[in-house]
Amino acid sequence: MTRITVGNHYPTGSILHRTDPRVKLAGTVLYVTALLFVNNFLGFILAAVFIAALIKISKVPPRLIFRGLRMIFFMLVFAASINIFFTSGQNVLLHFGIIRITTEGLTLAAHMIARLVLIVTGTSMLTLTSTPIQLTDGIESGLRPLKVIKVPVHDIAMIMTIAMRSIPNLSEEMDKIMKAQKARGAELDTGSLTKRALSLVPILVPLFVSAFKWANELATAMEARCYRGDINRTRMKEMKMNAKDWAAAAIMLASVIAIAGTRWVI
Amino acid sequence: MFKSQNLSFEYAPHDSNPPPLTLKNINISIQTGEFVAILGHNGSGKSTLARHLNALLTPTEGTLWVNGLDTKDPASTWGIRQSTGMVFQNPDNQIVATIVEEDVAFGAENLGVPPEEIRRRVDDSLAKVGMLAYASHQPHQLSGGQKQRIAIAGVLAMRPSCIVFDEPTAMLDPSGRKEVLSAAANLNKEGITIILITHFMEEAAVANRVLVMEDGEIILDGTPREVFSQVDKMQALGLGVPQPTALAHKLRQAGFNISPTILTIDEFMQDETVKKILKGQANANN
Ligand SMILES: Nc1ncnc2c1ncn2[C@@H]1O[C@H](COP(=O)(O)OP(=O)(O)OP(=O)(O)O)[C@@H](O)[C@H]1O
Ligand SMILES: [Mg+2]
Repeated sequence: MTRITVGNHYPTGSILHRTDPRVKLAGTVLYVTALLFVNNFLGFILAAVFIAALIKISKVPPRLIFRGLRMIFFMLVFAASINIFFTSGQNVLLHFGIIRITTEGLTLAAHMIARLVLIVTGTSMLTLTSTPIQLTDGIESGLRPLKVIKVPVHDIAMIMTIAMRSIPNLSEEMDKIMKAQKARGAELDTGSLTKRALSLVPILVPLFVSAFKWANELATAMEARCYRGDINRTRMKEMKMNAKDWAAAAIMLASVIAIAGTRWVI
Repeated sequence: MFKSQNLSFEYAPHDSNPPPLTLKNINISIQTGEFVAILGHNGSGKSTLARHLNALLTPTEGTLWVNGLDTKDPASTWGIRQSTGMVFQNPDNQIVATIVEEDVAFGAENLGVPPEEIRRRVDDSLAKVGMLAYASHQPHQLSGGQKQRIAIAGVLAMRPSCIVFDEPTAMLDPSGRKEVLSAAANLNKEGITIILITHFMEEAAVANRVLVMEDGEIILDGTPREVFSQVDKMQALGLGVPQPTALAHKLRQAGFNISPTILTIDEFMQDETVKKILKGQANANN
């Protein structure tokens, strides 16, 4: 038994959790696109209000969302510094060697930070309110029109499902192999970087072997349960858009248009 | 349910240097509702035979019929796999989905069963194996015995008439073994044919028929009592017999007049000579 959870789904049973995953997926894609259009603070404020409202509705504790932000902290600092120190502009505030800090640079950095923070919070809202299976099902069903141009939509979704299924298995297996190698005297966390990298080989080789064995046995088990692609296949949880889903879709669309629209307002 | 005629099988039949046959000339007939245990050494061909029963493998020579359908006929494959489910040894390597109920639904979804009916079957199957409370859990957070019961529920949702278990308890602890075995026995009471491959003689004693395989052939076929009373032969095969049977056999060799057909501890304790021994009244040779 491991404590790993696949994805970071946080069930609260809120209305946002119960919304059709296709609405949430499409909403997220549009929202991220809209943020790329935004070029003034009004847009960012609007997006922040939108996300804050979603967080409130979802009943997900905000600290979980900030945890996601902590992981991109260094990226934020890095992106911001580049913008602050190397943007050329008219209004120089500070000049020091090759470093020039300008108002334009500061604005750009602030925009960059706002955009990244809003994108990360928005996408984590998606994964916090949907299970991995809902997401893959949503992708499968949402991309169904692409079947006409021979995109193997079902196969892609099945591959994603199984990849998610394999994560806890692989990490457990890796743990086992590492312990076994340590018991034989392998030193995994001492020595130079090259030495440590080399010591990974005796872990990765058995890991690959066991991953292939796993895949092979799983494939047999799937065949034994009559799996043959999406021929004649039904789903227990059919996705049906109800009135609430359409309403949610309309609200998301309106908000996203409003966010992107701020570009032309000011 | 199953009937085979001169079934032989070899892996890689097109090799220029053919390996020996993995299954040799097997003729068996298994009726619906039977509980059959298959015993045999590592490599004796048990798994290979099991995989024939639901057309994962087809005979190189001879024929196998499942409910009258020839497993070699590609048109019958899906019908055969629906009627004969399989539970494998490693619980982690047969669970497809990341949520218990989604995994249980997988087989029924593949069969094209309507959604409301799948829902009913999933709840029903989970209840039968006592796992309904875990419907929305993640499989990798369950114990081995629970995972195997999920696998059984997944097969049940396909409404099979037979379930083949290929060493389902080999990777489990004693309590997990008990859970799985009692689930199998309960299903048999409901009329589902059970084929149980195992290395545990005590598990085989629960069946109503035991097949012993050696080197690709079925060498013994009978009730557990008939098979296990041949203690010397079973021990020569390196398989052994249930512990009460072995103990009774030792006592009999020592000259006590104990029944040769004892299988369980209860039967052992009920034996007249054993009762006398326990009271200190029995001597050898009486
Ligand atoms: N995929 C394969 N390709 C080639 N040979 C195989 C394959 N699978 C099994 N064999 C061989 O066939 C023989 C019978 O194997 P099988 O797995 O049926 O035995 P088993 O009775 O199930 O053994 P165990 O108790 O170890 O599970 C063995 O000699 C094995 O090496
Ligand atoms: Mg085997």
